[in-house]
This record gives sequence, C-alpha cells and structure tokens, in this order.
Amino acid sequence: MLRVEHLTKVFPDGTVALRDVSFTVQDGEFLAVIGLSGAGKSTLLRCINRLIEPSAGRVIWNDIDITAVKRGELCRIRRQIGMIFQQFNLVKRSSVMTNVLSGRLGYANPWWTLVHRFAPEDHIRARNALDRVGILDKADSRADQLSGGQQQRVGIARALMQEPKLILADEPVASLDPVLAHSILQYLEQLNRQDGITVICSLHFLDLVHRYASRVIGLKDGELVFDGLPSELTRERFKEVYGEEAEMVTVGGALAA
Amino acid sequence: MAPTTKRPSNSSWLNVLSSLLVPGLGQVLQGERTRGISLFATVIVLAGLIIWQSLSVLFIPLAALWLWGVWDTLQRERGRPSGPTAPFLLAALIVYAAGIKATEIVPRRIITGWPNIQPIVHALVRPELLKHPTEDRIGYLPLQVPCIEPLPEPGENASQEPRLHTNVRCAGMGETIILEGEGFFPEFETEIWWRNPIGDWQKVIKDGIPLTVVTDAEGRFQVSLQVPTTAVPLDRLPGPGETQTHRVEARQHKPYGSLQPTQTLSLVLNKIGETIALAFIATVLAVIFALPVSLLASRNLMWGNPASRAVYYAVRAVLNIVRSVETLMWAIIFVVWVGQGPYAGTLALLLHSIAALGKLYSEAIEGIDPGPIEAIRATGATWSQVVVYAVLPQFMPSFLSFTLYRWDINVRMSTVIGLVCDAGLGFLVIQWIRLSRYNAMATAIIAIVLVVAILDYVSAFLRQRVIEGVPSVRRRGWFRRYAVPAMVTIALLALFVWSWQVAQIDIATFVTGIPDGLRLASRFFPELITRPTEEVSVSAALPVPCGAAEPTPQPPSGPRVNLSLSCASPGDPLVITGHELPPNTRVSVRWLLPDGRYLRIQKDCCDTDSMGNFRLETKVHPLLEVNPQEEQIQPGGVAVVWKQAIGGPRPSEALTTTFNLSLVTLLMALIATTLGSVVAIPVSFFAARNVMGRSIVGQAIYNFSRTVFNLWRSIEPMILAVISASWLGFGPFAGVVALALNNIPNLAKLFSEAIEEIDAGPVEAITATGANRLQTLVYAVVPQLIPRFLAYILYQWDINIRMSTVIGYVGGGGIGQQFRTWVELDMYEAAGAAVLAIVVMVWSMDYISGRVREKMV
Repeated sequence: MLRVEHLTKVFPDGTVALRDVSFTVQDGEFLAVIGLSGAGKSTLLRCINRLIEPSAGRVIWNDIDITAVKRGELCRIRRQIGMIFQQFNLVKRSSVMTNVLSGRLGYANPWWTLVHRFAPEDHIRARNALDRVGILDKADSRADQLSGGQQQRVGIARALMQEPKLILADEPVASLDPVLAHSILQYLEQLNRQDGITVICSLHFLDLVHRYASRVIGLKDGELVFDGLPSELTRERFKEVYGEEAEMVTVGGALAA
Repeated sequence: MAPTTKRPSNSSWLNVLSSLLVPGLGQVLQGERTRGISLFATVIVLAGLIIWQSLSVLFIPLAALWLWGVWDTLQRERGRPSGPTAPFLLAALIVYAAGIKATEIVPRRIITGWPNIQPIVHALVRPELLKHPTEDRIGYLPLQVPCIEPLPEPGENASQEPRLHTNVRCAGMGETIILEGEGFFPEFETEIWWRNPIGDWQKVIKDGIPLTVVTDAEGRFQVSLQVPTTAVPLDRLPGPGETQTHRVEARQHKPYGSLQPTQTLSLVLNKIGETIALAFIATVLAVIFALPVSLLASRNLMWGNPASRAVYYAVRAVLNIVRSVETLMWAIIFVVWVGQGPYAGTLALLLHSIAALGKLYSEAIEGIDPGPIEAIRATGATWSQVVVYAVLPQFMPSFLSFTLYRWDINVRMSTVIGLVCDAGLGFLVIQWIRLSRYNAMATAIIAIVLVVAILDYVSAFLRQRVIEGVPSVRRRGWFRRYAVPAMVTIALLALFVWSWQVAQIDIATFVTGIPDGLRLASRFFPELITRPTEEVSVSAALPVPCGAAEPTPQPPSGPRVNLSLSCASPGDPLVITGHELPPNTRVSVRWLLPDGRYLRIQKDCCDTDSMGNFRLETKVHPLLEVNPQEEQIQPGGVAVVWKQAIGGPRPSEALTTTFNLSLVTLLMALIATTLGSVVAIPVSFFAARNVMGRSIVGQAIYNFSRTVFNLWRSIEPMILAVISASWLGFGPFAGVVALALNNIPNLAKLFSEAIEEIDAGPVEAITATGANRLQTLVYAVVPQLIPRFLAYILYQWDINIRMSTVIGYVGGGGIGQQFRTWVELDMYEAAGAAVLAIVVMVWSMDYISGRVREKMV
C-alpha cells in the first residue's frame, strides 16, 4: 500500500508544483493521474521515488517512509519501483540489451557492473523480458535504430528487470500514436493483472483512462481536485480538472483534452 | 544468455592453423573478410613501424597480436566471438612505443630544460609596458687579471666623473678587492657590473645575489667584492705570464618625470596595427577573388554539361591542394619570391584564404534551396529580382558568417606569420627570443593573446548576430537608413587604404615577378626517383716531354679518346677527340697529371654528338711535364669521365627523408592529441555548467576554468613551439609538447560543451532503477560522452596533422623543419617532395577522419 501524505513541492525558483497532496493507492490498483501540462503530474511521480526531493509531506510505502530513508536504503527501495518515461530515456547509442540489463543495476554486484559484467541469470531474465514485450529479435540493435513504440517496449523491459512491485509511468504514450498507445498500455495492464504490479500512470487521453484505469486522481495547479473511479469522471468533473475552456476532442478514436 | 559451445571440427583446425601461418587468414576462411584483412594489414603496418624504429622488443606484443588472431579463430569456431579490446591495446602499445621513440620524447628534459624557460615564464608576468626615463651616472675602472711582473699599462682609461678606486691595480680570479666610488648620486642604489676582456657583461654576485650598494650623503661608497671566477670562458683564459684587462663598473639609473611607454610597447603597438591590417586586407581581397571562384566550384551551377563539369573538378582540385598547404608554408615560398616583409605574408594569407573561402562559399551556393527560386520565378519576377529576393537572402547569412570566420583565422595566422616572414607580432617574438630579451618577448606574446582573444570575441558576437539574422527590414529615420551605412562604408574604406599601405602591396612587382615566380614554381617540381650513377672514364697517355715514357696504344673500337700528338712539350697545340662515347651526354675532359691528380681542361665541356663523338682543341698544360728528378714512370695524359647509370631507378633521398618525416609528423600529431585528451578529459568537467552546479563555489570554478581555457586557447601553437623549443631543445619532442599544450584548452572546451549537452533523461531513468552514482555514470553518462569525445579527438588530430607540418619552422621537428631547411638551402625539388607529402597526408587523414566521424556520430 502506498500512502501519500500532505506532499508539497516548491522549486528553488518559487514555483509551487505540488500543494498538500494526499491519497492512497492499494496494492494491485491501476491508478491514472490526469491534469494539464504543468499541473504537477511528473513532479508527483518523481517525488514518490525521490528523483525529486519533496519539500514537505511523506510518502509511505509498505510501512516504510521513503521520504526519510538514507541514500543506500533509497537505492534498495528504488529498485523495486520501475519507471517508464514519456521520452523513453534510453541510452540511444547503447544496445537494446545493455539498456535492458541496466534495469538490473540495483541488484547486480556494483563493481562487476562497472565493466559491463552481469550474471548469466540476468542475461536470461533480460531475454525473457524482451520476449515478453515482443522485441527479442532487436536485442543486439542500437536503441536509436528502433521505432518509438519499440523504444517504449525496451523501457518496459528495463522496468521489468527490476522485478518491480510498483511501476511509475510518466505519460508513457504521449509521444506515440493512438494505436501504439493501446499496445503499450495493454502491456502495463497485463503486468497489473497477471503479476499484480501496482501501476501509477499519468495519461492525457480520457478514453484511455476509462479503458485501463481502476482509479483516477486529477491534479490542477498542484492540488488534488479529483479522486474517484473512472466512471465518476464525467464531462463536468473533467472540465473541473482541465479548465472551463477544455473540450473533449477525439483524436484517432481516442478522446483528448 | 547461455553461451553455446561447439567442439571444433577438422576443417576448424585448418582455419586455426592458417591463422597461425598468416594472421587473418583463418578469419577470412571463416567468412569474416573485413576482420581478417584488417588484422593482416595491422600486423604488416606494425611490423613496418617496429623495423623502422628498430625496436625489436616490440616483436613480443606483435607476436601476442598474431597469437590473438589464432585464439580468435579458435573462439569463433566454438561460437564465442571475442571483443576487439585485446588486439586494440596491443596495437596501441606498439604504435605509442614506436611513436615515443620516433618523436624523441625524453620526459627528463621537461625537468632538465626548465632553467632555460624559467626567465621566459618570469618575464610573462613582467611585460615591458611603461617606465620612467632615467638619468644615468656610470663610473668605470680597468683592472688587470691576474697579476704579473712587470704589470703592463691597462688597455683603457678610468672614468673621471664619477670616479672609482681600488686598493690594487691587479688581482687574481676569486680574490677580494675593495672598490670605492665618489661623485655619484647621494643616497641612491648603485649596481656593480663586470666586463670580461671579450666584452661580455655580467652582474657581480655577492653572497648569491647581485651586488648593489647605496651611496652616502656625499655620493660615496665603499664595498668589497670578489673578482668573478666565471668572468672568462675557459678557452679564453690568459696563458702563463699574460694578463687581461677587465672592467668594473658602477651604475646608477635615477628615474625622473612621469611614466612613459617603453620602446618595446610602442613597437608592439605598431605591430598590432600591422597584424590587423594584414588580416583585414587579406580577407577583403580574398572575398573579391573567392566569389567568382566559388561559382566555378559549385556543383549545382556547373553540373550542366561535361565541359563545365570538368572545370568544376579542376577548380575543386586546385582549391583543395592550395588549402592543404598551410599558410605558413606558403609564406616561406612567397618569401623566396617577393622577399622578406609584410607583402609576402599578405600574399600567403590571401592565397590560402581564397582557397578556403572559395570552398566554403561554393558549399553555401550548393546549399541554396531551389524551392524559393521557383516560387519567386512563378510570380513573374525577372532574373535580377530572383537573385535579390530568392538567392541572396539564402546566401548572405552563410557568406557573412564564413567571411567573419575567415577574418578570425587570418588574425590568428597573421600574429604568427611573422615567425617566417618579418611581419606582425610573430616577428617580434622570434627576434626578441633570439636576443634573449624575454621581457620584451613577453610583451609581444601578451599582445598576441589579447588581440586574438578580443577579435575572437568580436567576430563570435558578429557571427551570432548574423546567425540570429536581424532581418534588414526597412530601417526608420534617415540617420539610421543612410548616415550609419555611409559612415561604416567610409570607415571600412579608410581601413582598407591604410591596410593596403601597411601590407606594402606592390602589384607592379608582383606582375613583373610572375616569370620569376613561375620559374621558381617549376623548380619545386618534386624529385621522387633518382638513378644511382657511377663515374666511368677512358684515358690516353701523353708523355711530356717526348721520351719521358712509352706511349700506350688506344684500343681500335669501343669508347676511347684519341690525341693528335703521341708525345708533346708544354704549350703545344693539342686536339682531343672522343669516339663511341655515350651519345648526347655531358662528359668531363680532364688532364691526368703525373702525380695522379685531375685538372679540368675547360669549363662547361664537352657534349658528345648523336654518334658519341666530341672534339676539343687546347694546349698542353705545363703541369703534365714529368719531373726528371723523381724517376716517374707514369706519364700524364687526358681522361674523359662521364656518369653512367647503374641499376634501376630508386627513390630519391628527398623522398625517403620525406617519407620518414611524414611518419614522424603523423606520430607527433597522434601523441600530442593523446596527451592533450588525457589532460583535457578530467579538467573539462570543471568547465561544464551542469556538473559545477549553481552553488557559489561551483560557479566560481566554472567561470575561472572557462576564462583560463579561453585565454590559453589564444596562444597560438606556433608561439608555444617557440617556447617549448627553447625548453626542450629543437626537435619533434618540442613540437609534441607545443601541440599538446595547445590541445588541452581546445579539447577541454569542446568536451565541456559535450558534457553540458548530456541528455538528462537516461540519467534519470538509470537513477530510478536504484543504481548508485558510479553505475549511473557508467551506464547513462559515459555512453553519451564517448562518441562525441571521440569525434572531437579525431577532429583535433586532423588539425594537429596540419599544424605539425608547420610547427617545425620554429624548432618543432617533423616535416616542417626539414621543409624550411630545404628551402633555405635552395633545394627546391626536395621541398617540393615535402609539399607533395603534406598534401597527400592531409588529404588522406581528412578522408579517414571524415569517414570515421560519419560512422560514429
């Protein structure tokens, strides 16, 4: 169970990105985070694994206060939390295999990894992960030779290497076209249903939220303005989150703000 | 991933065996042709290097590389391909070991040579800028060393006012004397100097420091000092019973009035003007010539028909050849043609700029998008309207940017062109270092750094403006519209006229000198192949006087020489004819004297006709007479000598020297780049904004290192070479150090920019997996940096090869040093071979590094 309590983030330049945000995520949930660009979605996700240090508040995961642990302990927590990014964040010039293996860094012997040595089990695990996302044949390609959808699947495989209990997905499909968006989210759904991994995913398209999420929270100017089931997210509530002028538009079969 | 292991079969063992016989053969048989061939080529090249430098110990790593090839074949048969790290390291070991020997690197000299440049380094912080004019009082006195009996009168007189006394008239070396002075400025510092009999001055040293005394209120002083034991060089010491006249001098320099610029400073200021003028005039003239040339070198304009395509290729080839010979090299050639001075420098800058700008402009023309031209034409515009509205707006930004860039380079070049041709600041540097006037030299070097740094900044600022492209829409107000452009135009014209004067451009001399220039150019035709020759001679005896010896009969056929007399007296007319000699050949006809010496009968004689005959009329030389007292039996005679080729043609000495030195030059560039990179990589992190962070300390380090790198970069490698040559001695080692010192700030700047452009995404992603900092560095940062660092290193190597072809002019070794020597010895055909080698070297390295960079980025 993940509990976020009174989380606040103020950047050094004075921008308030999160303002007293509190919510709870049960194990096995697929939580969608919606909101305008700049509403604080990315900051919220990064405060959970402390890629960004929160200014105040606590993040408690399975009775451990993530916001209070020391650096070494933080690494051990992070390795159980997979993360997927909008821009995939692969090392473009490294091979797909190296990118996937790097998901294992938190587990492997730190000294051997400095000369790119991983245990044979890790190699097998990496091939399985690539197989699972359907791009095993690309293992030896350079990451920048892959298409956007394939790169995001490498991103998922990298997260899988961590054997995560929680996946943070920061707008994983915003850089992809709608068809690919579905295929990527189906992988996340599979992980959520079959492996019981909790998923927290920021999304832009309302129909994707309806289709995949089991719960939704909405952020506006850093404040939590919605917390409920996807079915409760009506047109009116949607306008509360996205502002009065927002209209739901259909792009390639998906609704967008 | 479970590695699959196969057991080698019989044919596999054949592959392994063939790898043992010929490196790479096994790989080729396995179907890995590129791998096999490159392994073979590497082994051959490395073996060549080892033999060339006769470093037989390096055959051990070479054998290891060979064995690696065998092992690789075996591993491949087992289905486990091995990485390239091991062979790469072995090859690098051999190349660097050979390179260190070839470039004569002796790290010890860095320490032992330090005293040589200590005064230079000290001087750099004490340039000669301003000083007070002084009123001088100097008293002097002759002193005889050592004492002899009787003591002769000294060869010179003492000064009257002020006046010096000593307690003795003579002294031995190292003896203490008491020196008294009167009539000096009261209560003022006085320096004591010593002059030896040869005329060299030195300060008198007491207790390890130069001796100075302060006069009393009446202007008197008294001091004891030792006669310097180092005053006279060992080979000039007086013999026993001799004495030499030395001179001791007391000097006072009393300043008065206000500070005034030193002569050094005004000279430097004057030369700064000359430097800028040279760069300006060369750039302006180069633009004028390069524009039409660039039209001929543009693919899109010249691709129409075969004739224009031929012109395109010809112009491109000429531009490339001219460009690959460095400006300084052209300067040396122009000095031979038009003599020392700014004019030769201007011509060299101009020629190189035309070639460089011609290429850049033609690329700008090729980059013009035909779309807008079509669009403007579709509106019904005329040809000139199309040019104004579609062509020029596309061409102008690159044109301006390239021109400014070239102006920047020309300023840099004109600061150092004086090292070879008596113009600009570089000339002062080289002149003053020869005179050991280090403080003056430091002034000139500081001036160079400032001029380059300031103009660098100005041109970067202007280029930024051009790139941002403030569009010249209608400007408001008559003042901005007419007056400002008019003033700028007038200022530029005035600058042009002034620069023309300073550069001493003389078109008449240039035009009348063209035939001389062409003759000179033709002598540069490289001599690559020679045929070794040996001297062959035939002779006929001529006893003088008759009866001194028996005449020997000539063979009836074959090469022979016949004389009209069988014996003669001195002064008798004689006809010499040669028969069946090599046809149409210059032969040398000589008297063969009785004592065995030769004496040429006539200068420029003789050429045989097409039948191999010649005829020469002369008189019998008196030295042919046999001396009756000495019972010589060998009579004198006539010999005909000519050169006959033996064996096949072989490379000339110039070619082999050039080849050797080209290799040295390449290795110099390689080692300098390596040294530069090794230092630059760690320091570049201090100049990266994202690494240093926002804290005050970080900002301070960032700004400090940026400033240091920028100033340091302004010191041209040629200037560094001047300094390192006096530090480490002439030779390639000095060149390597100069280049490496220049590379450090250049590479550090490029590297720090690469670090600043690291994509933060992967760093974030790797951190999110729970990796520690070191792992994040290895997996997210290093993979992003390596390709860009390598690309910059290759780029720098490319530049270093160009630089190392000229760095030898000031003592940096390599092919440049030899080129200058050959030109100074008028051995132009050898110099031509050097130019050819440089063109080939620069072209091939350009091509290789271009290809590699393409692959990596």
